[in-house]
Amino acid sequence: MPVHSLTSRERVLRLFTGDEIDRPPCFSGMGNVTAEGLKKFGYKFAAVHSDAKMMADSAASSYKLFGFECAVVPFDLCVEAEALGCEINVYSHVEDILYPTIKTKLINTEDEMDIQIPSDLAGRGRVPMMKEVIKLLKNDIGHDVAIGAHVLGPFTLAGQIMELNTLLKLSFKKPDKVGKLLGMLADALIVIAGEYEAAGADYITVREMGATSDVLSPRVFKSLILPYLTKIFSGLKGHNVLHICGKTNDIAVFMLESGARAISVDQKNDIAETRKKIGEKALLFGNYDPYNILVSGSQDQVRETMKGCLDNGVSAVWPGCDIWPTVPPENFHAMMDEVKKYRR
Amino acid sequence: MATEDMKKEILERLKNAVIQYDEDAAKEGADEALREGMDANDAIFNGLVSGMEEVGRLFEAQEYFVPELLMCADALYAGLDILKPHVKQLDLGLRGSVVIGTVEGDVHDIGKNIVKMMFDVAGFQVYDLGKDVPLDKFVEEQMKTHSDLVCLSAMMTTTMVGMKKVIDDLKAKNPDVKIMIGGAPVSQDIAEKWGADGYAPDANNALKDAINMISSLKKLKEEAEEKKA
Repeated sequence: MPVHSLTSRERVLRLFTGDEIDRPPCFSGMGNVTAEGLKKFGYKFAAVHSDAKMMADSAASSYKLFGFECAVVPFDLCVEAEALGCEINVYSHVEDILYPTIKTKLINTEDEMDIQIPSDLAGRGRVPMMKEVIKLLKNDIGHDVAIGAHVLGPFTLAGQIMELNTLLKLSFKKPDKVGKLLGMLADALIVIAGEYEAAGADYITVREMGATSDVLSPRVFKSLILPYLTKIFSGLKGHNVLHICGKTNDIAVFMLESGARAISVDQKNDIAETRKKIGEKALLFGNYDPYNILVSGSQDQVRETMKGCLDNGVSAVWPGCDIWPTVPPENFHAMMDEVKKYRR
Repeated sequence: MATEDMKKEILERLKNAVIQYDEDAAKEGADEALREGMDANDAIFNGLVSGMEEVGRLFEAQEYFVPELLMCADALYAGLDILKPHVKQLDLGLRGSVVIGTVEGDVHDIGKNIVKMMFDVAGFQVYDLGKDVPLDKFVEEQMKTHSDLVCLSAMMTTTMVGMKKVIDDLKAKNPDVKIMIGGAPVSQDIAEKWGADGYAPDANNALKDAINMISSLKKLKEEAEEKKA
């Protein structure tokens, strides 16, 4: 295949398979809905989380409006917790953009940790809707653009369903007990991610930001978090990425040891150093600041930052978190243009 | 009355109880301090808070992480709960009340609670609005309590932008109110641009800032005592 005529989808897939590409793609594994995209359809942000067509339309719009090289769903981080039985708040009363959060925890104290994973997980909450969204996206733009989906990592999901203070203290005091919970959640996440893969997702991003070195020591990451991430990546069938934000320089090597095909880090990572540590071949995605650069930076700052990411050795230009919806269109265009014209 | 040596020993025990996140030791130390007739303020500042200062250093050196910090905070509160009823009120010339909370859309309150702890230690009247707090509530509560400080916390970029609205509203209604913002996505740049008076990007910095504040209170307190003497 001539590499000068790749579609965005081919470019992303060839990146994962290690085949030759013309340039690093500019895409993401996390939410990429924009206010511009919502405006195009007249959708309210609070409404798109629970309607398959609205979510698919919004997710596809970043490609259609700006040429972003993927469409990724969902936009929020509550799908898995909801399927496990948590109630969510979508803030429908708020005009501004607020992401859904969990209203009530399943586990408040140590004694409540023996939960059962529902056997019909794939049919619960918004999991069936997410499959529908992925299918709609495949039909709409799936020929040209890679479709991604994300799930939380086991520890981050534990933080959604369980009182966070308790989880953090027990991860220190009773790691065995926490480990048992993480093992169950890993199984649940394999089921949900498997549904997304079966619906046609080209790649899955596992977001384990709760285990950043801003919160947990690299030692605890290795002993308590890594085994269950490894479990998930051995259970996934397609392409995949492990994302952790915040401080990650000391755990980047462990992140790769999880078996993830690619790792994703945010702007707090010294990416040139990480590249040195993990070698030339490993897939490293990152690491621009999606708010302070993409939303509030000037076009020149956007261009400089994207060039900086590429100079520092990223395999794909990719945000440190969800694209923040109020990104100015001219900044989005500047980002795409800079990545497209970059030559190593 | 306790001898100087015995006092020193009790302070050391309180300090170590916090550092070693030992709630029982903190309770025992606090009880003993009271039994020996020690000044509760002394036990709090030179025992418990000294311990927390060391915890801040350990956190900065990346020997301690958030789980340890939470356990140390538990130990501090275990001692503080016993000592606080015995604190003699000192007029520091500060009104000392603060409204604190995590902004709507954000359900993370660990950083907020660490900062709150230091205000508790300092004897501030703390109006804790909790997490996921509707933006108008901060303004309402400040007006109602006439607090001189409002602390806003957000852990996610996705909720941080709500803080700007609160700052604008607060400054419009009461230009004298001091506003501190905190959380992972917050930067000096954002604090300046939005007109906040202070900021702390993470629990460590929040802790450091709070300790700095407590240390200056400690100085004020010592000066006040010198004047009395």
